[in-house]
Order: sequence, then structure tokens, then C-alpha cells
Amino acid sequence: MAMNDTQTNEPVIEVRDLRKSYGEVDAVRGVSFEVSRGEVFCLLGPNGAGKTTTVEILEGYRTRTGGEARVLGIDPAPGQRELRERVGIVLQQSGVQNDLTVAELIEMYGRYYSRRRPVNEVIELVELSEKRNTRARDLSGGQRRRLDLALGLVGDPDLLFLDEPTTGFDPGARRQAWSTIRSLCDLGKTVFLTTHYMDEAQHLANRVAVMNAGQIIAIGRPEELGGRDLRPAEVRFTLPAAWSLGDIPDVPCERRTLEGDRVLVVTREPVPAAQRITTWALEHDIDLGHFSVSQPTLEDIYLELTSSVRENDHTTAREAVR
Amino acid sequence: MSAVASTSRTRDLGLVAWQIRYEQRAYWRNRGRGVFTFVFPLMFLVIFASLDKGAHIHSLGGIPYDDFFVPGILAYGIIATTYVNMAISTAILRDQGVLKRMQGTPLPRWAYIAARIGSTVVIVLAMTAITLALGVAAYGVHIRASTLPGLITTLVLGTAAFTALGIGITRFIPNAEAAPVVVNLTILPLTFISSIWFPPIGMPKVLIDIAKLFPIQPLADGLQHAFNPLTTGAGFDGQDLRTLAIWAAAGVFLMLRFLRQPQGEAG
Repeated sequence: MAMNDTQTNEPVIEVRDLRKSYGEVDAVRGVSFEVSRGEVFCLLGPNGAGKTTTVEILEGYRTRTGGEARVLGIDPAPGQRELRERVGIVLQQSGVQNDLTVAELIEMYGRYYSRRRPVNEVIELVELSEKRNTRARDLSGGQRRRLDLALGLVGDPDLLFLDEPTTGFDPGARRQAWSTIRSLCDLGKTVFLTTHYMDEAQHLANRVAVMNAGQIIAIGRPEELGGRDLRPAEVRFTLPAAWSLGDIPDVPCERRTLEGDRVLVVTREPVPAAQRITTWALEHDIDLGHFSVSQPTLEDIYLELTSSVRENDHTTAREAVR
Repeated sequence: MSAVASTSRTRDLGLVAWQIRYEQRAYWRNRGRGVFTFVFPLMFLVIFASLDKGAHIHSLGGIPYDDFFVPGILAYGIIATTYVNMAISTAILRDQGVLKRMQGTPLPRWAYIAARIGSTVVIVLAMTAITLALGVAAYGVHIRASTLPGLITTLVLGTAAFTALGIGITRFIPNAEAAPVVVNLTILPLTFISSIWFPPIGMPKVLIDIAKLFPIQPLADGLQHAFNPLTTGAGFDGQDLRTLAIWAAAGVFLMLRFLRQPQGEAG
């Protein structure tokens, strides 16, 4: 316990100028970040951005070619048993011994860890109680994924790596998995998440890092990533055919457009804008359909960030050709 | 310090025993892959031995056919349960990412492989016991106390060689679908010139010489030597054992290389 107390303030993951090359190809080109205890840290990025390489270095599957890395204060070199005892890994695609049942597998894997959670507790946590005596071979995709999570949790890890944890889940199961993951953080566990689902990152992550071409191009809270909180809001509604864009009262805005019957008002002052428009509509007894006020989503920001870098890459490539 | 080291050593050996139990459970439950490697040799034993029941081999001093065939099929059974089964199942475990998953746990890699080997030894013991029981009960084969040392030595060396080779060959198997092809290609042609199915009577000398370079012929011949009623002495065939030992060493070398290769770097 005393050991844990002293570690509270230390970052769980500390990465400085991490590099990895495969021959001529630089997969990771100087990545730095820290993850603190109890945090859900999410790494986003298109395929081939260097996400998997980065995560697998931290998991101890690959060796780095440069920079510093510390996971729970330990160098994550391959074969570090002390680290393996305290880390749970849920890989994107990794099978299990298919002829064993859910309960047998959790029991079998649990034994490898000197500190472990009771089999029944883990089965209940991932809601596989009804499938406890089913062989892994006969589980559905979502059930297999929950078994993966169970095997990642059975060693009662301080740090859990989750790679695309809810792929193949129905919406209900996904919400359930999210609340399981959240509850881990309440217990002081740290979660390192990689995902392609922006709603997952939005819902779970305390901080998000976006990787592209081997580098981190943005890092921050999901609400603030890429200056998301500073972007203008979008007010949308549909306008009955009798009315045109010019009839709408002037509101402070950057632009407003009418496409078909759909109006879009882009504004930095969404509250007064919405108030003036709705007051006008009520006064004239106009029914504004699908009225909404929204900030750009994490997905909007993500696509913007990764596409601009992609264009830059093309530019440099073209320049290089010249 | 040494007390800590010995406790963790004891714990690791406990983990190996623990893992063997689960490897066994998984093996016997898989009818398609596991049990058929086991049933196949026994089926051949019953078919071939029943066809030639009561026959004698004149060129081998008139010994009963079954004294030749039962140890030959025992050699085949050992190869099926060690080399064939180990190579195919390891390739599948690798493709499915089970090896990678295991590597992410605190179970030491050596302990996992040791458990897979231990489980294979259990299967070999069962295969040997059933083959010999059938041979003795149905086909009049005798296990003689005098040749027992040679029999056991040949069994142990053969099991070691083919188990290690089975793990080691995985390096040369590109994916799980290719595994049965690679395995059969390396085994099946050799069995026809290695005294497994029939005595090497009238076979060109060059084929016999080729067969003697590989481990199948020495295993079959070594076991046949121990079961031959004309054998005097303890049942050791020096040349067979030497060849098996060399292949066992090569197998262990390949196996250790496989062990050192981390699963993550592959992708």
C-alpha cells in the first residue's frame, strides 16, 4: 500500500521523444506524452499513423529505436515480468484457447498473476454469467470481446491497455462496457485506449492525443482538442417554404446559409442568436423544425486535423519530386 | 534472496503443472484436430495388422510380421502426436494471436512452452500404452524385460526429437493453412522408405541410405530392434540412437530460436 501511495503523483506512463524505425521507414517519429493515474487516455489516428507501434512498445511487444519510455516506473522492454503482473492488455485481434470455456479461461489466465480477481467477480463484471460454461469457440463476436476484457482484468491490473475494445458491440453492450471501464478509473486504475469510434473517445477519455504520420499532432481534453471549444457553434433548423433567409432577424454570426429548407447559422454567440431566432419564430407563429445548437463534434475536429496533415504530406511529397 | 528465488521457481513449476492441465483439457476436447492425430495411427495399426495377421517376414529371419509392424506404427503414432500435432497447433495458436496474448501475461514464455511439451509427453505416453496394449493383447507382440532399456531410450529420444522439431518447424510455416501441407510434405514421403508401413525389402540401397539420414527411420528401426525376438542384448541400436540424438539437438536449436522470436515484431 505504501508503495502505491508514493506512486500516486508519478505518471503511470511517461514517454519522451519515442522513436521506432523499421529499416528506412520511421513509424514513430518523436512522440512525447504523459498519462496520470486514474486517467483514461485515448490515442486516435488513421491506420498507419504509428498508433499500434506506439502502444505495442508500451505493452512490451516491440523494442523502441530511440527515446525514453516508462510504464508504471518500469522500462517496458520485452519480457518484463514485473510489468506484466500489473498491466492488462486487451489486443485488437487475439484468440484464446477455443476449446476451453469462459470460466476455465478466466481461471487459467488468472493463475498467471500473483494478484488476481476472483473468477466469478470477473465473469459478472463483463456480464458473461450465462455463458460461463460455453466454449470460447461458440461465443458471438461481442461475447468474445467481453471475454477479452475479462482476461485483461483478471490480473487486477493498475494499467489497462484497450485496443478497439467495443468493436462488434450493440449500442446497449457498448454503453455497458463504457460504464465498466469508467468504474475501473474510479478504483484508481488507468486506461490507455485506442479506438476508431469518436463517440467512444468523447465518452470515455479524459484526454485525447491524435497521431498522424508518426507524430502527435494534437493533444488535449476531448472538448478542447484542436481548439474545439473556441470554434463557432452551429444553429440549424428548417424553415417553412413561405419564408426566406432574409426574413430571419439579424444575429451576430460568421455566416448563414439556406440549402433547400435547411438553415445553418454559424455563430460565436449561440445563446443570443438562438434566442432572437426563436423569439421571432414564436411572434410570427412559424414552426422551426429540427431546431438544434451544436459545437463541432470530436469527429469533425479529428477529420479536419488528420486531413490537413494529409494534404501537407502530399505537398511535401510533390515538392520533393520537383 | 535465494529463498525468494526458490519460491518463485516453485511457483513457476506450479504454473507449468497448472498449464499442462488446461492444455490436456483443450487437446482431448478438440475432436477434429487433437483426437484424430491420436486415432489415426491406431486405426492404421488395426487395419494393417489385421490384413497380415499370422504372416512372417522371411528376409528378417522369419520374425512375425506384427513384431515389425507394431513398433513401426508406434513410431508413426509418436510422430503424429508430437511433430504433426505440435507444428499444426502451434501455427494455429500463432495465427489466432494466442501466442501473442500469452506473451502479454506474466507466464514466462519458457513455462508455457514447457507446459505444451509436458502435455505432449502425456499424449505420447497414452499413445504408447494403447499401441503396446493392443499389440500385446491382439497381435501377440512381446515386451521383453531385456530390451526394455533400449526401447525406453529410443522412445525418449524420439519423443524429444520430434517434439522439438514440431515447435522449431513453425518458423518455416508461413500460416496455419499451410501447416498441414508443410507437415505432411516433410513426413509422409519419408515414412514410405523408413520401415513404417512395410519392411525395406528389395528397396534400392540409395533410398535406405537417404532414409537413415532423417529421424523417422532411426526411430522406427530402433523400436523394431527392441521388439525383434532375435535381438540379443539391451535393445540399443547405436546408429539409430546417434542419428536421433543429432536430430533432437537440431530440434532443440530450432525450438530455442522460435522461443526467442517475440510475437509482436511479426506484425
